[in-house]
Amino acid sequence: MNAWLTTHIQACERALRRLRAQPLGSLLSVLVIGIAITLPLGLYTLFANVAAVASRVNTDPNINVYLALNASDAEVRELEKRLRQLANISRVQFVSRESALADMKRVANLADLLAGLESNPLPHAFTLRPSSADPALLATLRSEIAALPKVEHVVMDFAWAQKLKRFATFAERLVLLLGIILAATVVFVTGNTIRLQMLTQKDEIEVSQLIGATRRFIRRPFLYFGALQGLLAGCVAVAAVSAVTLWAGNEVQALMVSYGSDYAMNSPSPGQALVVIALSTLLGWSGSFISVSMYLHRPVR
Amino acid sequence: MIAFSNTVKRYPSGFEALKGVTIEIATGEMVAVSGHSGAGKSTLLRLAAGIERASQGSVMVNGQNVGQLKEAGLAVLRRNLGLVFQDHKLLFDRNAYENVALPLAIAAFPRAEVGKRVRAALDKVGLLNRERSNPVALSGGEQQRLCIARAIVNRPSILIADEPTGNLDQDYAATILDLFKSFNQVGVTVLLSTHDDAGITRLNCRRVTLDQGRLAP
Repeated sequence: MNAWLTTHIQACERALRRLRAQPLGSLLSVLVIGIAITLPLGLYTLFANVAAVASRVNTDPNINVYLALNASDAEVRELEKRLRQLANISRVQFVSRESALADMKRVANLADLLAGLESNPLPHAFTLRPSSADPALLATLRSEIAALPKVEHVVMDFAWAQKLKRFATFAERLVLLLGIILAATVVFVTGNTIRLQMLTQKDEIEVSQLIGATRRFIRRPFLYFGALQGLLAGCVAVAAVSAVTLWAGNEVQALMVSYGSDYAMNSPSPGQALVVIALSTLLGWSGSFISVSMYLHRPVR
Repeated sequence: MIAFSNTVKRYPSGFEALKGVTIEIATGEMVAVSGHSGAGKSTLLRLAAGIERASQGSVMVNGQNVGQLKEAGLAVLRRNLGLVFQDHKLLFDRNAYENVALPLAIAAFPRAEVGKRVRAALDKVGLLNRERSNPVALSGGEQQRLCIARAIVNRPSILIADEPTGNLDQDYAATILDLFKSFNQVGVTVLLSTHDDAGITRLNCRRVTLDQGRLAP
């Protein structure tokens, strides 16, 4: 156990020495890997924020049915009866023209303007909740409802919300794909850095093998070196994305307020940051492992 | 004990460096392998150190068939051997102390023990006062002595030296050979190759001569 610990401590020390011995080269490698991790993390954070905004929007399909202004109470009741009889409608809610006007005054702060009107310009309306979001079914429903007496307009205004939801799903997949590509990039960059390291340490590796070092012993400091690079690069990526989120966050929040939302942009959470750093450490380690294993399979001269 | 039994070494090109060599070297014995260049001296030593594998026959070192050892087994074997190379194979980005300490780092010795052993080895070869020197600042003879210090720092039971005096003048060569003699006198088995007849006479040990891959009568 002691010997095992000693070899690991020594390997870690050697990795740190190598990092310190080439500060500029190490810094550049860390930055390259850090940028490669920043891109998917940044996109993930951006799309996570977009998805959070999208989730606040009601994307359940609703159909608003606006009646003709001259519709009498009896006609309204008759229409409500026929709407309730329609298949594939799970809920029917009546919105009287009076309550619509009251809502408008309250929500849009248009009390003064609306007070000047001689009569209520708003029609009676029904809000329907279809039991399915199937586009073909909704189109049929729309035609059926539009053909009913005293129906002036049928509005299905959830299409944009659905598009937003689809865009969020697409963005998630895009981030995943980009993440995989850039993870491979991290492995290649680390692998190449380690390969160059190994070329500069060629004599030491050869001599060590000749005097009894196992491949595991030789591999160990390079693995620590790769993992260390990955760890630092992960920290760089988290710091960069957090800084950008903080920098842009104030502007975004001001923009959201103008749209009546109190949404504030989120930076990567501590948990996410830890996962990113752990993943990038693992990628650095993997890149080193592949590179060192390929090198050490050459015969000793 | 080191035993070569009908050992053949054939390279992919078809060239046979050793053509059925049988030699036994007893524990504590010193054997000098002589012969012209290309006679197979270095190949014989590389087979004993497990740096190369025999194409036919066997090479036994301390009761282990070197040809059948896997990577980890070979590493353990080499840690119990002291290897001295004609080209020294020193690391020029480390000082003398660090070069000698390398086998102990590989064997995971504690730091305090490393210090004691390295200084003892450097003292043995007369380089204690040069422990902070870079090998590049040492003469050819001193570099060879440093290589010997690295070979003995693990206190091996067998020393294998390939042309240890090859690049040295006579005085330095004599110093190096005397070192091997002193190690042998304390029970270390020594197998070395040389084409220096005067040196072998000085060592006063068993001589094995190779000629084109075969033992000369």
